[in-house]
Amino acid sequence: MATVTDLKITELKLSEAEGGKWGMVIDQDICTGCQACVAACAMENNVSFVGDVDSGYGRSMHWIRIERFWEGEYPEVKMTPNQPMMCQQCGSATCEPVCPAFATVHSQAEQLNLQVYNRCVGTRYCANNCPYQVRSFNWRDYERPEPLPNQLNPDVTVRTRGVMEKCTFCIQRIHKAQDNAKAEGREVVDGEFTTACAQACPASAITFGRVDDSESLVSQLIKHGHGVKHLEELGTLPNVTYFKGG
Amino acid sequence: MIKRLFDWLKQPLGLIAVGIVFLAVFSVAAYGLYTTQQSPAQPIQFPHKTHVAFGIQCLYCHPGAAKGPSAGIPSQAKCWACHQQIAKTQTSVLLAPLKEHVESGTPIEWVPVAQVPDFVQFNHRAHVAAGQNCENCHGDMTTQTIAENPQVFNMGFCLDCHIKSAGEDQAKLNKLADCGTCHY
Repeated sequence: MATVTDLKITELKLSEAEGGKWGMVIDQDICTGCQACVAACAMENNVSFVGDVDSGYGRSMHWIRIERFWEGEYPEVKMTPNQPMMCQQCGSATCEPVCPAFATVHSQAEQLNLQVYNRCVGTRYCANNCPYQVRSFNWRDYERPEPLPNQLNPDVTVRTRGVMEKCTFCIQRIHKAQDNAKAEGREVVDGEFTTACAQACPASAITFGRVDDSESLVSQLIKHGHGVKHLEELGTLPNVTYFKGG
Repeated sequence: MIKRLFDWLKQPLGLIAVGIVFLAVFSVAAYGLYTTQQSPAQPIQFPHKTHVAFGIQCLYCHPGAAKGPSAGIPSQAKCWACHQQIAKTQTSVLLAPLKEHVESGTPIEWVPVAQVPDFVQFNHRAHVAAGQNCENCHGDMTTQTIAENPQVFNMGFCLDCHIKSAGEDQAKLNKLADCGTCHY
């Protein structure tokens, strides 16, 4: 049986492990909870509109959601800052080892958690094992009435029924930026592109960039701020840093 | 009941019936297999080999291959730029549909031949930039009339080449053999 000291040793080892490549910083004090990121993400990534009936069963599909929490007892209820929650692109993800089809794998090149839709057989083990509860499952082929198909993003696969999906850190934008940079014979510049949620955020609460580059804005924010990574104690090595109460 | 059926099938007439049914099933299957190996019907019997023989580069009609994900199929305006100066265009029966399309201003509905599934994000530019020539995947167009696929574009075909081109370079292999390079 593992003792407390044993656990501390594993934590230490995990924190010394190599960090990710792409990371995000979310300032909860600036976030107004306007849901612009949620809408932008759904449009960028062809996320289906589930409808009220299935949402009632807890089958709503979002790659990013705004979590709200309350403090205190009625009538002195105080709302804590809004908390945008999406896939944390863990360095040691709990979703990966449970997939029997190897549909959710760790990208060696981009250090992201990938969801390979054509491999997914829909066991939903990954979603049940995700401590952040950020994966959503296509319970049906959701209707996309005209003219909605016209706004589908051609760079992103349209998922069908029985497939798990989650935030990809807009990997299609990463690839596009890398492709453009390579064609022009240069490296990808920090701030050259960003994710759909960060782009849409009117308060600029979301910052996206390279965490392995100490010069990038994200790295600077992490270095000088007082950020927390959610459920870090589980050893998941998340790549999203949250700022609150600063 | 079943015994009576077997008895009837054992007599000459029954054997002939069995043979006919077997032949019918076999020929339908063979025809089905044959159709999958044919290039689709195109609105114009476009002869690739003739155009290549005139020295026209692939990128002249499919310029997207060097610029972005999709190589593109030219509109009739591009065809007409050359063809309106060719006397044969006015008289040829095979070219009559082109003339009709240009005069009525309706697009030619070409049927794409080389396609990958929706869950594959293919980018022509990266492959052209890596020094791949068109014929490596699309076959020798100097011998083809209507474009046909020399091979099935499945993952084995892509990955074989990806692993081969990475060679000993581990970082390149990580990138080229990564699921997220093509599937997202």
